[in-house]
Amino acid sequence: MTKRILLVEDDATTLKYVADGFTAQNYQVDSATDGQEGLTLAKHNQYDLLILDRMLPKLDGLTLLSALRTSGNKTPVLILSALSHVDERVKGLRAGGDDYMTKPFAFAELLVRAEKLVQRNVIEPAATDIEVGGLKMELLTRKVTLDENELMLQPKEFQLLKYLMEHPNQVISRTLLFEAVWDYHFDPRTNVIDVHIAKLRRKFEELGHGELIETVRGAGYRLCKGH
Amino acid sequence: MTILIVMLVLSLYRQLVIEQQNQVDKHLAAEMQRYQQLALTVNRRSFAAQIRAADPKTALIAWRNSVDMVGALTFLPENMPQLPETKDFPIFTGGPDKLHILTGGLVITRYGPVLIATRTDHLATLIEKFINAAFWAVAFTLGLTLALGYIFSKAILRRLVEYNRLSEQIEAGHYETRLPVSDSQDEFDMLARQFNLVLDTLEQNLRAVRGVTDNIAHDLRTPLSHLRIGIEQLADKPTNELADASAELLEELDHCLGTFDAMLSLTRIEEGQQTLDLQPVSLQQICQDLFEMAEVIAESRDQVLDISLENDVQINGDKYLLFQALFNLVDNAIKYSPVGASICIKQRGKHIQISDNGPGIIDEDKERVFDRLVRLDPSRHYKGTGLGLSMVKAILSRHKATISLHDNNPGLLVNIHFK
Repeated sequence: MTKRILLVEDDATTLKYVADGFTAQNYQVDSATDGQEGLTLAKHNQYDLLILDRMLPKLDGLTLLSALRTSGNKTPVLILSALSHVDERVKGLRAGGDDYMTKPFAFAELLVRAEKLVQRNVIEPAATDIEVGGLKMELLTRKVTLDENELMLQPKEFQLLKYLMEHPNQVISRTLLFEAVWDYHFDPRTNVIDVHIAKLRRKFEELGHGELIETVRGAGYRLCKGH
Repeated sequence: MTILIVMLVLSLYRQLVIEQQNQVDKHLAAEMQRYQQLALTVNRRSFAAQIRAADPKTALIAWRNSVDMVGALTFLPENMPQLPETKDFPIFTGGPDKLHILTGGLVITRYGPVLIATRTDHLATLIEKFINAAFWAVAFTLGLTLALGYIFSKAILRRLVEYNRLSEQIEAGHYETRLPVSDSQDEFDMLARQFNLVLDTLEQNLRAVRGVTDNIAHDLRTPLSHLRIGIEQLADKPTNELADASAELLEELDHCLGTFDAMLSLTRIEEGQQTLDLQPVSLQQICQDLFEMAEVIAESRDQVLDISLENDVQINGDKYLLFQALFNLVDNAIKYSPVGASICIKQRGKHIQISDNGPGIIDEDKERVFDRLVRLDPSRHYKGTGLGLSMVKAILSRHKATISLHDNNPGLLVNIHFK
């Protein structure tokens, strides 16, 4: 079933960029260029996700969000903002936002976050195993095998791989991986993720499948399904 | 002052003029009594004789009997009240000052009404003179006050005008201009001194901003010109190389954006615009997390990362910001120390120490490294924005913590102390 997204963004360039991106991924995208229009649309339609700009004409993004939440609307909300600061992030989440991204951003990352929020509304039986190609992860026993060979992983490596396996064939940014593994939200400006990924990849290489984790320059990492 | 003078004159007026009037009233009352007595004791003829003989200098007496007027006047002025009520009335005489002003009233005797009056020209003149004098006195003081005030305010105004002129000069861009401070140490000098202090601070900040702007321009010029070249070449790239080439450009661009972001958030933290998300933070926990995150990076450079914790302390702080600051320090230690070095995170109560045995920082640079966009590595070999330590310092000072750099012989020792 096609998912519906409402995009409220006053910057025409960003609006087109995001709307085109989601349309290409088979989402149905409605858009509004000011807060008032956004609120009206959000109240009268059933969306799977709202993407809100933080600064909007007529009605500020956070105010819109508060108004929506007060009226009992529980649609997942992702806030976009040019202000890359923790306090803004906190404010956004307190107003009822479910996730937060700062501009400028890569569409790939927005897509991953959006999918996560959209799927949250769909009740799925909790998976106990994840399988991507020859890679198999048992969540309860934390056993990971590649072509029946067991991989011995450190806890952080396990968490990283789990995140990658949940989004196979998708480019995952370092920031996303960082947030998946650590409870600290900041731009690490460090190669800590790269170091972990390198270790993980080395373990794959020992089994002859180093190519499973692909580095995407300027974007992040991708777990290939191909195998 | 003028009001004071007016009050003084008024009280003088009361004393002088009212006293005079009282005397007139008393005089008239005495005369009235005299003629009342006279009317009772003498016969009509003697009464008339007495009235005719009255000395006009003491009092002017006129009696109207049933046939004619006896005394100083040929008629009785109309509507005269009975004494002690009095009324002023004019009379004409043949003398050089023809018009006389008199004050008087009637006494009713058994022979008829008798007018008793006394000349009050002198009183009227007195009042007139007095008012004249008072007017000039008040006018004079008023004039004097105004003149003095004008001269005085002119002196003040001259300074204000001077201040104004200098402010305009400053506004026009002469930021080195200062207001003159005289030796008199008055309020104006205090104002000027304060104003000069503000100017000093502003000028300092301005210079700092200029320095930073130059640095930004310098720092971003290189990646931006790389981008320019890259984009120019993109058009000629074969299709299979396009993805890689644009990814490379993206990385470069992200680096620029990262610098801007860091700059903005640094300012927000320094200026206190960013509210901290305060919560109890365990210094031990934060060091433990630090160790866990950094260990793998140190490992990748064959370095040893140690941790030593004692006496946990909870402080009220922004966990994410603090972690970011501390991580930056550990990350620097790892980045700038050679392969095989050892790095240590030590926590003792409110004291955190991060030490390495890398190249260290020479004394002259130990303060400078906290300035914005200062990078000790002139070749810019290491990736970075040059804002890391400024951010560390800003975050720590928002948490009222102090940071100082020391020699570890060899290496660098960073001391952080929370209050």
